[in-house]
Amino acid sequence: MNLSENQLKFAVRLNDESCSRCAVCYSACPFEAIKKDPETGKLLLEIEKCQVCAICYSSCPAKAIDIIYYDMNSLTGYLEKAKDEYKSDSLVIKCKGSAPDFEDVENLFGISEFIPLSVPCVGRIPAEVILKAISTIGIKAIYMLACDDDYCRFERGSLIARLRVTAVNALLEQLDYGKEVVRFKQRSLKVKVDRNKCISCGNCVFYCPYSAAKLEGGAATFDLELCRGCGLCVTLCPALALDLEHWEEARISTLIANLSRKKTGPNLLVMRCQWAVFPELGEEFDSDIHIIDMPCAGRIDPLHIMEALRQGIDGVLIAACHEEDCRSKNGSKEAQRLTASLKKTLSQIGFEERLHFCTVAPRYPESFREELRLFKERIESTYLQEVKQ
Amino acid sequence: MIVTAQKPLDEILDFLSPYKSVLIAGCDGCTQPPRGLREARTLAQLLELGGKLREKVFGFKVITLPKQCDSYLTLAPLQPQVRDMETILSLACGLGVQTIAQVLPDFPVFPAQNTLFIGAEIREDNTLEERCAACGDCLLALTGGICPIARCAKSLLNGPCGGSQHGKCEIDPEKDCAWDLIIKRLEKLGRLSALDEISPPRNFGEVMKPGRVSG
Repeated sequence: MNLSENQLKFAVRLNDESCSRCAVCYSACPFEAIKKDPETGKLLLEIEKCQVCAICYSSCPAKAIDIIYYDMNSLTGYLEKAKDEYKSDSLVIKCKGSAPDFEDVENLFGISEFIPLSVPCVGRIPAEVILKAISTIGIKAIYMLACDDDYCRFERGSLIARLRVTAVNALLEQLDYGKEVVRFKQRSLKVKVDRNKCISCGNCVFYCPYSAAKLEGGAATFDLELCRGCGLCVTLCPALALDLEHWEEARISTLIANLSRKKTGPNLLVMRCQWAVFPELGEEFDSDIHIIDMPCAGRIDPLHIMEALRQGIDGVLIAACHEEDCRSKNGSKEAQRLTASLKKTLSQIGFEERLHFCTVAPRYPESFREELRLFKERIESTYLQEVKQ
Repeated sequence: MIVTAQKPLDEILDFLSPYKSVLIAGCDGCTQPPRGLREARTLAQLLELGGKLREKVFGFKVITLPKQCDSYLTLAPLQPQVRDMETILSLACGLGVQTIAQVLPDFPVFPAQNTLFIGAEIREDNTLEERCAACGDCLLALTGGICPIARCAKSLLNGPCGGSQHGKCEIDPEKDCAWDLIIKRLEKLGRLSALDEISPPRNFGEVMKPGRVSG
């Protein structure tokens, strides 16, 4: 993150000097975070409302918006580097919401070698980046995986990306780059239920923020049209009868079991909501810090936290969105409640300091690193005390 | 639902200390909060962590049973699971623990829960509240569907007492005065006259302990 270079206090900034007052950003912002002064036409960003979806950034024709994450330079820089690294001229751009990893790209697009690019919402990718990738970087084909329109965590991100891809494809075809250079697919990851395991407790019915769950015929059933894939019901199912597509409980357990733990010094696990922290491209941490991105804090499961602690992780940090920012209504709130409850139980064996819940937001680019630094300090001091004993 | 609270981990670790292999058995019956597979697995991990601090290594096996208080439903799935185990830790209410003790007469079983009361789930407040005392002589017809035996700290039949203040109970101001609720509800229903007659003392001997119903 080039904080010192950009001198940005917040993740997004509107530059009045280069703004042409076209107000595209004002109309495109899904969160009404951009205001227009009725007299001067001047556009103002209310950062507290901003969710850093970057739809404004990718739509601004005057390039009057600065953003810290996935700006044009870092995206094209990444592609130039990655083209050699992956020795491929195919690019897969996926929204984190539509897939936690690139495992089923082959199923979806029929390719096995590609440059991977994972971003929080594909609506943030400017048309210029796609055009530059094809015209100068030497990418031959782009495959874009977005969330379904009504599943988009940024309301209009998927829709805007789709419209943009249509326009870019038309342009590329006219320029003789071929037909449908950018393939576009959409999907949503939703709940799965094993009705044989359901004990009809009704937790999913009560906790589902979208009223997707019902108890019918003695077991839970879900209206998948309504499910938004937050995973809260999965975390709260006492019978382990529910799971979330591509975020299966077993998959997360495997990720935890396979963490390459450092032998000396404390090892930390961060389970973070993927909408609370936007990682830099090629983000790196010290070898004693392990990161698992989750679909929502609501899917951060006390069982997984316990698995990590039992397997020798010295501290678990939960990073959720601020309650009012939660992209799936109650995820952050419930994660906080569940963490507090687990902490209480852990206090019985003196482990309460090993678990910490914090809320952060991408609009404050330094907030996550700061929380992590403080947590690491605390765990290190506990660890040193224990080693002394 | 039967409301339970998990025992302190230290207490559980104490009574498990003579054993190495422990079968942790959840119950998918009516216990609240639910004590199924998730709870059983979480408890196994907590005990493993707590055991390590005591330099004690356990071998846990985790299962869940459909309804531990049913001897017929419990014995069949339990029997093959306990063959290579030394003891059972039950996550069910006191009934489940006793049913296991009954169906496996030669096998030690321990409770992971304290059984508290028959309670209702107040989901919105995330609480479980005692609502029925299982007294054996239901008064709800008279009291507008609100039980003073379970919900009045003094189980008064002719309330409220002088300690009812602003609808709250003098014993615990966090709790509603059951008689305040009863009177307001009967008033609303236009049935306040139901309380005109003084209720005579009840014969609590109606249900002789231990209770038993046949058939």
